[in-house]
Amino acid sequence: MKTNKLSSLFFTVAILIISSGCVAKNPLPLNNNYSSGKVDVPFIAPRSELCASTSIEMVSSYWQTQTSYIPLMSLAELDKRTLIPKKGGTLQIELIAAARANGMLVYPLEATFDALFSELSKHHPVIVLVNRSYSWYPLWHYAPVTGYDAKSQTILMHFGDTPNEAVPIETFAALWERSSNWGVVLLPPNQLPASATAEKFLHSAYDFEKTGMIKEAIIAYETALIRWPDYIPMLFALGNAYYNLHQISKAEEIYRYILLIDFKYPFALNNLADLLCHTGRSNEALKLLDQVVTNNVEIQALVKNTRREINRGCTSFIKKQ
Amino acid sequence: MKVSKLILSFILSVSLFSQVLSAQIASTEELIGQSAKESSKEKLIQIVSREDVAKRFEELGVDSKVIEARIASMTDEEASKVAHQIDTLPVGADAGGSIIGAIVFIFIVLLITDILGLTKVFNFTKPITNW
Repeated sequence: MKTNKLSSLFFTVAILIISSGCVAKNPLPLNNNYSSGKVDVPFIAPRSELCASTSIEMVSSYWQTQTSYIPLMSLAELDKRTLIPKKGGTLQIELIAAARANGMLVYPLEATFDALFSELSKHHPVIVLVNRSYSWYPLWHYAPVTGYDAKSQTILMHFGDTPNEAVPIETFAALWERSSNWGVVLLPPNQLPASATAEKFLHSAYDFEKTGMIKEAIIAYETALIRWPDYIPMLFALGNAYYNLHQISKAEEIYRYILLIDFKYPFALNNLADLLCHTGRSNEALKLLDQVVTNNVEIQALVKNTRREINRGCTSFIKKQ
Repeated sequence: MKVSKLILSFILSVSLFSQVLSAQIASTEELIGQSAKESSKEKLIQIVSREDVAKRFEELGVDSKVIEARIASMTDEEASKVAHQIDTLPVGADAGGSIIGAIVFIFIVLLITDILGLTKVFNFTKPITNW
């Protein structure tokens, strides 16, 4: 009985090793036209346990060569911000949080080769999480992907000791799949990911605001509005950011612009009314609130509150400051 | 403990500050967040989860000088995810060969093969003879 158990365990392990060693022959979508290319990301030699901060630093120094971006942290600070000593590595969330605190927008990559290659084609390096081993003995590792060589079908990445190490696409696909194709695009706030959607980009930009980096958030919103000029939630976020900074005339301009696109947009009507009331224009404010038509209970409550505030007489911003 | 108090005061001051700024305007969160305005209960849960993260970080040897800054740089969602899943989330480490891991692995394989009587690497193993 005992022997049987042991031998079956042994065979299970053996089969697991052999079978999981089989990698899909062609992980890329058929008829893809991914072309060769390399992003010139400065290389930093790996340091034990610090692949997250090293990856952030490589990408951030790349952007310094390309744009006016200035990182907010040194490599030593990044190390301190990312390492969990007793775990000997870095959580994905902390990689994101540290990169953002370093002044970079963090856009979560859609988990596809299409998204990866569209970023590379726009010369945006992507940091990926890979598992160098099997799921039952994981060895997680972060590394920036720097390019692709179509001829040899290899992914170029600063994986370890060698800059732009050529990793066969099958191997890369297998390692990457074990993290469910996790990756992030790090960019200065005045750049847009090639694969971004307006909605997901807004989330990334708003994360700046949530962590107290409102200036970076504003740059990101304004950059996004170049690509999606009439995307109302982005305009609304920008208007609110200006309002929170007490840049009243800019906020007013944006709320009014939203109402040009959609004159019934309740959030903009409400916030503009609030702004007008606080700048001594209560009559116009009440007229705006009269235009709100909604079945949404929460919006109704919000508008009711604003109306009450206006009737009570708002404090002016000048007095407040 | 000192750290978590600092964090608590930071969070409270931020949330109070933002309330003072504009009592009536609809926030961006209201528009893009899943739920509308945060209830005070939710806010409390988030403060608690940040404290949990601070405690775990202290236990895991993170330099106490940077714990506050590290947690402050997370959004509420990120902090609560770390608080709940810190022991199951992947931890990206180094690119090096992780030689110790490989040695341990080979040791275990040889141990099994020793026990099965296929090898005789170690002196302390007794093969199962009747397999």
